[in-house]
Amino acid sequence: MTRISARYLGKRLVVSYLTLLVIMSLLFVLIRSMPGSFISSMITPELDQADIQQLRRTWGLNEPIWSQYLDFMINYQTGNFGRSPTYKAPVWDVIISRLPRTLVLFGAAFIAQFIIGPLVGMYLGWWRGTRKDKTIFTSSLAVYSMPAFWLAWLFIWLFNYELGWFPSTYMFTKFAEFDWTVMNIIFDVLKHITLPLISIAFVSWVGAMLVMRPEMNNVTSEDYVFLAQAKGLSERTVMIKHAARNALIPVATQAIVGLAFLLDGSVIIENVFSWPGLGQVIVTSVLSRDYPVSQAAFFMLAILIIVMRLLTDIAYTYLDPRIKFGGDS
Amino acid sequence: MSTETESSSQFDSLKERWRPRIERFRRGWDRFTAEKMGVLGVVIMVVFILWALFPDFFAPHSLEWRAYLGTEPGRMTAEQSESLPHPPAFGDPFWAPLGTNYGGEGILTLIIHAADDALYIGFAAGLLSSLVGVPLGLISGFYGNTWIDEIIQRIVDVMFGLPFLPFLIVLVAIRGITTTNIILGIAVTSWLNNCIVIRGATLSLKERSYVESAKVAGASDTRIVFRHIMPNVLPLAFVFLAQDAATAIIAQASLAYLGLADFTANSWGLMLQNIKSGGYVFEAWWWLIPPGVCIMLVAAAFYFVGFSMEDVTNPQEDS
Repeated sequence: MTRISARYLGKRLVVSYLTLLVIMSLLFVLIRSMPGSFISSMITPELDQADIQQLRRTWGLNEPIWSQYLDFMINYQTGNFGRSPTYKAPVWDVIISRLPRTLVLFGAAFIAQFIIGPLVGMYLGWWRGTRKDKTIFTSSLAVYSMPAFWLAWLFIWLFNYELGWFPSTYMFTKFAEFDWTVMNIIFDVLKHITLPLISIAFVSWVGAMLVMRPEMNNVTSEDYVFLAQAKGLSERTVMIKHAARNALIPVATQAIVGLAFLLDGSVIIENVFSWPGLGQVIVTSVLSRDYPVSQAAFFMLAILIIVMRLLTDIAYTYLDPRIKFGGDS
Repeated sequence: MSTETESSSQFDSLKERWRPRIERFRRGWDRFTAEKMGVLGVVIMVVFILWALFPDFFAPHSLEWRAYLGTEPGRMTAEQSESLPHPPAFGDPFWAPLGTNYGGEGILTLIIHAADDALYIGFAAGLLSSLVGVPLGLISGFYGNTWIDEIIQRIVDVMFGLPFLPFLIVLVAIRGITTTNIILGIAVTSWLNNCIVIRGATLSLKERSYVESAKVAGASDTRIVFRHIMPNVLPLAFVFLAQDAATAIIAQASLAYLGLADFTANSWGLMLQNIKSGGYVFEAWWWLIPPGVCIMLVAAAFYFVGFSMEDVTNPQEDS
């Protein structure tokens, strides 16, 4: 039995698409309204005014703004991102070579966050008001308040500088004598990802915990929990099988907020660890006014977020049978 | 709510009218102080507010002071500037309890003088994003499932599609790097959660019987929203104000790390940026640790107070 009608799904897809169009228009306006342009980074003393005009013509900056906008909207939807003036390469190549690296870091952090966060939230919500709850809750809020890059510096200091256990920059070892076998590469990447990963995961699980804790506390007063307890099931079974399952539903929808938080975290963390991912590309391209690359990077992230939102809404209906989208009621 | 029938022309009756509110506040305060976390938050906040208001009283030196030089303008000898950043030490020739940075400025002095900047950013950004998020959430919830609600929710959708920190970088790049613009940027990007939660609360509140009766009595929509619903969502709004304030302080530090801080202002984020650009991240721990701890403490204080408020306004029985 499908709980989602085709009509609802179609409506959601159309709305998501329109949202994306609005985001793209916003991006175009915002990124063009930053003062300066990438042309200024190409200008050298030898160039005279005519050369500069020639440069502007080459990069399409002399066309009227509405035609630039139309080009942008049409090209992006056909997957034509243009060339990057600063990377001297097609934008698509710049983005696509970095996207997997961001997704590796990001996916691992996402999984870490949505395993640790709900688990801790479950325990704290179940034992709400006890001393254990108060201590852990207070200290996790303190952890949540740390600036991510500062925490990352502390980790690098401890594990790289003092102990020398893990490398602190880049994704691979960059030396000729490195033996490029599959096992070596996997092991090497694992070694390089450890520090960025714990830096993100250390802070971001708290977000999921903050949602899980009150939800867990709410379901403890539900009838089915009392029923399960009255049946003589063990505390553990009731907590995990009966209460936590239902408290998880709002957490799933809140995953999208956690995703946004991870994105922010990864922008900073990638910078600290020189992790060659999308977050680093975004920062450098925005600062160097590289319009094509920054637009494309924002565009990819926007698509990622919109798709995730759609998926969580659909997952919601499967987690909670009471909810039906697109019904007549 | 029954107070409207009483006459309000007399000063005495004013006191009479406010008594139930004061009583309610006192009960809330008692419940608040029962929560150790909230009290801890208030204590931290008071310390930093005192620092922000009277930096000259708490700081060992003025901002112009430099190690070896004092407040006199001049040059250090090569040997003197070699010894900077100076670690905290007993019997150092100058009174700098947390050591100095490479410019000879006392770390403790800088830390204390930067407290006002952090609190200003926190309170201003939190208030501003509440001022956007709460009314929009109220309107959206009150007109739930109509075109007004639909429009506001689509705006929220669009804003969600833009990643917070990169978007903030673009905004700051457009408007210029000043503290005011950083606050505005944070407010523009962080009202979303506020709006969504207030909308949810309003949706359930507007079904209550007292809203029905106000409607029957002929109250206008504006009056119902601001007189009857808003007072009930305000505690929730306060929780989110505190969270937004904490987010703002951390966001400002992150912007500073990326080199997007106001270099004329004195802030903890800027101190961390100076450590990075000076290459002292792993050499001068006495310079690295205090700014981060301060950011953490202030942000945590906002969270502590916020979440304790949630317990006060929405008490759960202990199981």
